[in-house]
Amino acid sequence: MPVNRRQFIKRSASAVSLSLVLPKFWMGGLARGQGIDATSRKIFVVIQMAGGNDGLNTVVPFTDSRYAALRPILGFKESELKDAQGNSMILGSAPFGLNPAMTEMKSLYDSGKAAIILGVGYPNANLSHFLSTDIWGTANTNGGLGSGWLGRYADQKLLGQSGLSAVNIGGSLPKALFANKVVIPSITSFNAYTYQTDERFRGDRNNQINTFHATNTRDFPVDSFAKAISEAGVDAADGAAQLQTAIAAYTSTVHYPVTGEATAQVISFANTMKMVAQIVTTIPEANLLYVQIGGFDHHSQEIGTAADNYTNKTLGQHANLLKAVSLGVKLFYDDMVEHGLADNVVLMTWSEFGRRPNENASHGCDHGTGAPLLVVGNPVQGGKLYGEQPSLSDLDSAGNMKFKVDFRSVYATILDKWLGADSQSVLGASFGNVGFLG
Amino acid sequence: MASLDYDGAAHLMRRMGFGGNPDEIDDLASRGREGAVDYMIGYNQIDNSAMDSLLLQSFDFLTPPVDNNQLNNGEIRRWWFTRLVHSKRQFEEKMTLFWHNHFATSSSKVQDFLMYNQNLTLRQYALDRFDTLLLKVAQDPAMLVWLDGTTNVLGASNENFGRELQELFTMGINDVVTGQPNYTEQDVKEIARAFTGWRFNTVRQGGTITYNFFIQANQHDNTSKTIYGQTLNFSGEDVITLVSARQATARYLVWKLFNFFVYPMTTSSADKATIDKFATIYLNNNHSIKTLVRAIFTSDEFFSDRAFFSLVKQPVELVVGAIRMLGGVYNPGSNINGGRTSNTLSTSARNQGQDLFGPPDVAGWDFNLGWVSTATMLERFNFANTYVNNRNTTNPGIFVTNDQLKSITKGSTKKTVKRFFTRLGPLDVGGDTRKMLQTYLETGDNGQPVTYVNDDATVDKKIRGLVHQVMCLPEFQSN
Repeated sequence: MPVNRRQFIKRSASAVSLSLVLPKFWMGGLARGQGIDATSRKIFVVIQMAGGNDGLNTVVPFTDSRYAALRPILGFKESELKDAQGNSMILGSAPFGLNPAMTEMKSLYDSGKAAIILGVGYPNANLSHFLSTDIWGTANTNGGLGSGWLGRYADQKLLGQSGLSAVNIGGSLPKALFANKVVIPSITSFNAYTYQTDERFRGDRNNQINTFHATNTRDFPVDSFAKAISEAGVDAADGAAQLQTAIAAYTSTVHYPVTGEATAQVISFANTMKMVAQIVTTIPEANLLYVQIGGFDHHSQEIGTAADNYTNKTLGQHANLLKAVSLGVKLFYDDMVEHGLADNVVLMTWSEFGRRPNENASHGCDHGTGAPLLVVGNPVQGGKLYGEQPSLSDLDSAGNMKFKVDFRSVYATILDKWLGADSQSVLGASFGNVGFLG
Repeated sequence: MASLDYDGAAHLMRRMGFGGNPDEIDDLASRGREGAVDYMIGYNQIDNSAMDSLLLQSFDFLTPPVDNNQLNNGEIRRWWFTRLVHSKRQFEEKMTLFWHNHFATSSSKVQDFLMYNQNLTLRQYALDRFDTLLLKVAQDPAMLVWLDGTTNVLGASNENFGRELQELFTMGINDVVTGQPNYTEQDVKEIARAFTGWRFNTVRQGGTITYNFFIQANQHDNTSKTIYGQTLNFSGEDVITLVSARQATARYLVWKLFNFFVYPMTTSSADKATIDKFATIYLNNNHSIKTLVRAIFTSDEFFSDRAFFSLVKQPVELVVGAIRMLGGVYNPGSNINGGRTSNTLSTSARNQGQDLFGPPDVAGWDFNLGWVSTATMLERFNFANTYVNNRNTTNPGIFVTNDQLKSITKGSTKKTVKRFFTRLGPLDVGGDTRKMLQTYLETGDNGQPVTYVNDDATVDKKIRGLVHQVMCLPEFQSN
């Protein structure tokens, strides 16, 4: 019995509908510097710290009288706020210190290249990872539905540009990059990013590529799964070869760690940042980059190792991840300096929430609220603290900190002051300028 | 008794299992709709001795003495993929996968030998009362480690399990029909207290290892708790009974089953009515998962136009289905006596975004468009290329033989392409697209036209290329 055209190629009934128009990314090849004024580049790198980073142990408010009582095991004393070389991690004359693992971030802060925004969150904070991540990703505090804030930015500002203007390093596209019009590629490794055909019959390769193209550039209805899939497939296959050629031109004296030189997470994140460096230094139109580092959901064993019964604050899961971020960002920054791009790059970290001030009995913390966010780059007015640290004597009824800075104002600052976009139209409302970009 | 045609039977095999070959599909179709579903659900009656023998020959940990080092990251995955391809009890595997995603626990934090043990628990209770399954999963070592049950103590409770139990395993944040919140932060805290003291120990005896659940009494909060407005000295087991009986749970489970097995659900009133229709079956049948899934798979909703090919194939469905539907081979190899092994299927599925035993987080995998990125699409295409171009049939790995391909190939390009559409689906592809593939068969190197002849050389080159191209079609990505 013949079957009718099925749902797959009809309008999808899915609640998340993405209508994707053929992107112009790969059409006409990569611009390779033609007509692109390097001095005007505004590169933005987003670093998602997934799981809920413990802000209180990242930027330590050591003079808050309640800190020690709430964090008897996890908390840092003022005298402990120094790195492995004995350098102080205290932020100038401010009553805060960076976690000892973040020695590189401290040097960026001291040289005015990194700023810290304290107490970032949003009203009626949601303590579910997935909902809160969606809320931050969409900038929609009413359920986290819709497209991503950077997706909307890309639809407004990047659609129609030829070449590769935005890349996600990772296997799945984050909510923040969900766009209605553009397809933002996700790349996990440069080596795997090619369309392979039978090595035995190389003469047949072009036939296969032509056939693939023909079958995957058919018209499918807007909102159908087939449309999204075919467009991602074509984008992948077409773009792959061009990307390989481009990044082959990368050279650098910066040494990113390899096996044996650091922990697995430190190496992994450093190499993620290296991929970002490879892309931005060889592809002049690549200005929006997104990376993720996971593992921050420290309900237990946040510090220390089995050998010290999870009490040594200079070791352990959280320290290791913070070291990964700190070192990765610094190596990337150094690479930008080497390539004359240090004035053209701003990086921002974010996490879906902070953690509960009162530690639990598993040497970890439950989900929390307001936490600090870092912004790094020459354009940043760094070496300063923005926002306000929530007082630990004024917690909400669930025992969580009261946020001081709405994350959307951080987004607005980046959109207006760095990306040359209209934050009001991207975010749906007006949010203040936090000040870290002047 | 409703009849079942070839397309319907193939649909059933793809959804309740991982796809089948024409013999399996014909057999299912001959049973009619209810008979076919009963056959698939009554899998304990199906002879699985061939797979059992293969497993014993291929995995050292299945023969005592067992040492947990044998149950490592690669081996437990190779074990499950061997089952997925070779088991005749396909629905047992698919239902276990559903629960693995639902109670998503990951080897990123839980040791692989405990992940393997959890898999055994999931499959043992997969079709039981939901209350029973939920209790067994909650007491299972993997979950106790994953959501910090082992450090949840009286006086300083850890909320991880109390939160995810409600948010992900039973009701969801909001009722899927009314949209009303199902619980408060206070409920999370109170429920956490009910599960304090839950522990397990490990017993090694006679070359086997077993895990026993127990409650550490002096670490258990034995005082009254207020949950959903009711105040009692709730034990963890009481909480499980309480939550399993809630209408919000019935609705949420139906919603998850529909999204995984039938079609993507919307918030339309028609879909909400559907949810309630099946939620009632759960509530009226002692929370029997078996009764609920039987109702779903025999329903008109399942066999509606809306359901066919409405889901994006999960990576595991894609790689396993490619073997099963085409009559290819997965030879897992054996590590007994230091033999060679193959983990190709697991590696590719992981690169496509689905690492069995390693979901990204406790919410499980992101389905449908969640599988789609440029990186994962390339991996799907490259998997197909690897599969059709492995001509080494001796070593462990995946391959399809020339003889098998030749048995599907016909003398005309039109019939050949149609035959492969049927084997790899049956895919509903229009004439224009079919002609693109026929043209491929009739194009030689350097783009010169050639006359198509279904001889061995053509099978080895162009037919393999054709299968690669069919597996690159958007239609092939759907289930």
